[in-house]
Amino acid sequence: MSKNVNAGSTSLVSREVLIEGEISGEENLHVDGRIKGVIRLSGDLFVGAGGSVEAEIDARNVVVQGTVSGKVTARQQLEIQPTGRFNGECTAASIEIREGAVFEGTSRMINPPAPKSGNGPVAKKPA
Amino acid sequence: MGLFGRKKTAEQAAGAQDGRGTAFIGAGLAIKGKVSGKGSLIMMGRLEGEFDLGGELIISPPAVVNGEVKALALSVSGTVQGALTARERVHLEKSARVQGKIITPRFAVDDGAMFNGEIEMKPTPENAAKPPVAEVKKALSVKERS
Repeated sequence: MSKNVNAGSTSLVSREVLIEGEISGEENLHVDGRIKGVIRLSGDLFVGAGGSVEAEIDARNVVVQGTVSGKVTARQQLEIQPTGRFNGECTAASIEIREGAVFEGTSRMINPPAPKSGNGPVAKKPA
Repeated sequence: MGLFGRKKTAEQAAGAQDGRGTAFIGAGLAIKGKVSGKGSLIMMGRLEGEFDLGGELIISPPAVVNGEVKALALSVSGTVQGALTARERVHLEKSARVQGKIITPRFAVDDGAMFNGEIEMKPTPENAAKPPVAEVKKALSVKERS
């Protein structure tokens, strides 16, 4: 399902690093540290078990093992793993919440984005 | 499920979890704001704002940094505009393009580096108090001989 449309590199915010502000770009991002602000990625966001993100997030897939709070848009999937905690508003094409995970807030589903290059026309029927 | 396409990358990143992994900001990322913390970081992206790191900061091309930069040690081969402060040392490598003020106790520039600005070198209190290691060794060996 996850095609390497932009098989970009993965940036890493390690444990002892804090970023306050806006992060944007065409990469995947792995967070073991802390981020406060805005995250806009064409790739995936992965929040590791020690990671903490307080932000407005827009990414392709969002995987949460740590703590995330804020407004999250996952153009494909939001996944909250057993150690993950989510607090806020989530908008995603697909959601997976594992047993043990914490989800507090609201969820809204959207249609998955159209594939970039031609796998035929996109059906606009309800799933 | 290999969300990252390359599972290795995620594993490598996870391997850095035990405390002091070096953070990495790739060429495709842009940050507006402040990056701080005790760790070290390799910067290849764009930053408008501030770095304040307890560890080493490596600014590699195609990085473009605009703002105030503070770290324990700074190694620059990318482009920086602003004030650079290192508590230990600053090294400008040959592809470095730096404009601004540099404050550091130790400074090195490679042939080919471009630097426009001002340098202020002041020994840190520790450096001033302690003689360099080589001199201590010398002193010791002299003592042994006598």
